Amino acid sequence: MRNKILKLISKQVWTSKIKNSSTLWLIGIFNGLLFFALFSGYKYLVNQQETVEHYSLEVRERWENRPDKHPHRMAHYGYVAFRNRFPLSFFDFGMDSYVGNAVFLEAHKQNTVNFSEASLSNGLLRFGEISAGMILQLLLPLLIFFWGFDMVAREREHGTLRILLTQGVSWQELILGKSLGLFALALSIFVPSVIVGFILLIFNEFASENPQSYIRFFFLIISYLAYFFILSVLAILVSAKAKSSKSALTSLIGFWLFFTLMLPKVSQVVGQNLFPSPSKIEFDTNVEQELIRQGDSHNPNDPHFKALKDSLLIAYNVDSTHKLPFNYSGYVMREGEKLSAETYKKHQAHLVETYQKQQNVVRFTAFLNPYMAIKNLSMALSGTDHSAYNDFQNQAEDFRYHLAQTMNELQIKYIGNKVKTSADKKAIISKKHWSDLPDFHHQFLSLIQVFKNEVISIISLIVWTLGLFFLVNYSIKNLKAF
Amino acid sequence: MEALLLKNFLRSKGLMTGLLILFVAGLISLNIGKHFLDKNKEIIEKTAHYQQESIAKNVEFHPKEIGLLLYYVRFGLVNEMPNLAGLAIGQRDINPSLKSVTIRNLEEQKYATDLMNPMYQMLGNMDFSFVLIYFFPLIIIAFCFNLISEEKEEGTWSLVLSQSGNPIKMLRIKILIRFVSVFLILVLLLMIAKFYLAIPFDAVFLAFILTSILYIIFWFTLAWLVASFHKNSSQNALILLLSWVTLTIVVPAGVNALTVNLYPVPEAFSTVLESRDGYHNKWDVPKEPTVAKFHQHYPQFSQFKHPEGKDYSWLWYYAMQQMGDDEAAKDALAFKEKLKKRNAFSSTAGMFFPSIHAQLSLNALSLSDMDNYLNFIEKLESFHEQKRLYFYPKIFTETAVSDENWKKFGLEFYQEKPSLNWLKMLLPLLIISILCVFWAKLKFGKNMMAR
Repeated sequence: MRNKILKLISKQVWTSKIKNSSTLWLIGIFNGLLFFALFSGYKYLVNQQETVEHYSLEVRERWENRPDKHPHRMAHYGYVAFRNRFPLSFFDFGMDSYVGNAVFLEAHKQNTVNFSEASLSNGLLRFGEISAGMILQLLLPLLIFFWGFDMVAREREHGTLRILLTQGVSWQELILGKSLGLFALALSIFVPSVIVGFILLIFNEFASENPQSYIRFFFLIISYLAYFFILSVLAILVSAKAKSSKSALTSLIGFWLFFTLMLPKVSQVVGQNLFPSPSKIEFDTNVEQELIRQGDSHNPNDPHFKALKDSLLIAYNVDSTHKLPFNYSGYVMREGEKLSAETYKKHQAHLVETYQKQQNVVRFTAFLNPYMAIKNLSMALSGTDHSAYNDFQNQAEDFRYHLAQTMNELQIKYIGNKVKTSADKKAIISKKHWSDLPDFHHQFLSLIQVFKNEVISIISLIVWTLGLFFLVNYSIKNLKAF
Repeated sequence: MEALLLKNFLRSKGLMTGLLILFVAGLISLNIGKHFLDKNKEIIEKTAHYQQESIAKNVEFHPKEIGLLLYYVRFGLVNEMPNLAGLAIGQRDINPSLKSVTIRNLEEQKYATDLMNPMYQMLGNMDFSFVLIYFFPLIIIAFCFNLISEEKEEGTWSLVLSQSGNPIKMLRIKILIRFVSVFLILVLLLMIAKFYLAIPFDAVFLAFILTSILYIIFWFTLAWLVASFHKNSSQNALILLLSWVTLTIVVPAGVNALTVNLYPVPEAFSTVLESRDGYHNKWDVPKEPTVAKFHQHYPQFSQFKHPEGKDYSWLWYYAMQQMGDDEAAKDALAFKEKLKKRNAFSSTAGMFFPSIHAQLSLNALSLSDMDNYLNFIEKLESFHEQKRLYFYPKIFTETAVSDENWKKFGLEFYQEKPSLNWLKMLLPLLIISILCVFWAKLKFGKNMMAR
């Protein structure tokens, strides 16, 4: 393969297309769309970041300003955790709109994360969202196909293909050269959006707090480059194999429809049927039933808690829990919280595992469908995938547990054993304890974790890129010059 | 000539494959809808059973104080799903169709969500409305993009011009044959749906059918308009495909982005904070003002007083809970108003775009839209209120738990009647279609003259 020839062919593709005013229009429209998507996404992100920051501060302030009171009342006053958006999330919205944003954290109870954007929207959201990611993953391929479908087929129809081949250009050079030209056209749309995206990222104050967003952006660019290259080569290959340019166009559009609209929806339905997941009611019932089996801290005759009580009485050599040197009911609650949190965590982990199995059915289609590979990878790098959300949920639950147990510890340590109600003066501790509890800070997943989660997508993109060279070499054997 | 054109159409392998694809995709979508309806039914049955069980268990655990018992007991309200929702699932897979609440403050309970894999919601359902809105137009485009250009490119156009006095008539028959074939598939699918999903044949279903038909008519008129431009096949295909991408992907997403940016909903967060403080802060302040505010809200309960000097009473407890709702009421109302504004904006904007308008109309008819959910929440509020009013006097007079027949508290159902505004539903689609035909007529007139 000669570089000079490749350059020549790709340059010819570029100049012949760029001459055409409709090409310029399309490039302009796509850039306009992308800029709109980037700016509106960015505005939305900043809006969300500010809202979350504002309300997080307010939650903290309200928490610290609670007066002296019983620690268990404080555990029920609880906290509200808000999900932060990753600075890159304006690039690809991913699942962000479908997952909750705020969760009320209190003792004994794991509340749902509420107020997803989807729950605040009518059916429009379901048409899909306009983000740079969507345009690059879904619409740009259509344009690549549209530009590429006749690049070889028309040369054949016009008879110029034979001339080219007799002049000593090899099939490999022809296909790769044309693909590179097409790839360059795609770059005329991708590069400006990358520059704008990068500038917006620099402007975001949260990006500097998370320097990994720049590294993630870098990998995002590489993944998209691979994606566009794969599509360019595929378009040219189809064009070379097709009987006519018309049939090339029909098959390319057919592929596009099947792989971007049909397959993802059908594979997720298959995933759901293979690995059914419980509804909220079932989930709660299962957790509750297991808890009752383990021990009900509200039931005075419960064997688990009765054994606990007896062992305490023996250890401290007293005949009543009132005589224990610490607050007994705080001790029981600490045990109850531990049991219920462990049980919940176990079920939650199982649920997430089921979800991941469902998602893996979709994820594995990436080996057939590069669209799915880039979609998942782009989402993960932009911090808008399910793992990022799940990580937030875990952090919120850990914080909730820590909050409840801190309050239980305070109760065990400071509250007398003889108080009747939480309103008793002896049952109240100083408010200075409240500010000792650290604030909730939503941390983002590390880059390594992101890569681990998306191993399948990364491998499939690599396999696709390498596989194309084999595919080109294999298919040129059957290609016809006329 | 008609017979010849029909024969030609029936013999075309590509066209028949197109119809077959539509039919199969439609059948798959019906199955998905059926599955969705069944799952919903199953959840309701399970919950009905679970509610009875849970009430019985709680009555057994807390037999002494009805105030304590009602801290735990949950009452379920079902937002009934018509079978038609199997055809247009809409927001039903995001917003739960069943909510179980205690009589404690509602704000902390009403926004609870169901468990759902977000990947599933993101990729969306392949329900019938999806097949109608995305797939039907594509097949229509494939059928019609070369209505004239095919004849020109195959060299038969001059033959048509010379042999037939009225070439437009031939084109009309050609497109009519295509329309009838697609129409038949649509009607066939809807008839299968009627029996498979047991949809009652009523005015609502009729409206659903008419909207679907008008939507495909719109695409045929658009194809007719593009044919009138007398461009070549690939240009026609490009124009039609671009229209498809614009109408089904770009514009809806753009309108959505606009809605989200125009109407942000910070009220969602402030409601949570207000309601939390409204209730929890009352533990730290004197009891009298709380009880007084409660009496102000419910003068009918003025005779019940908090026993002086007591640390605790159920009246005071439920008065505190009530304050959680009362103090968040302003924000909650603002929140609801914001959602209604969002809704109104997008459905008005949607009237100009057949894809959006059709989708939103189908969702509204199937009671799977945002309006239905907001109505359900309002119903939930009154359901909750009614439970409170029923139990408050019993709690305050400390009625014995055993005096109440707890078995009678089964699930309750909310059934909305879809409002049928025929003009608003059908007119936008009709007007746009007529405009296309009219414009095409002008173009055909000019282009034929020039020949």
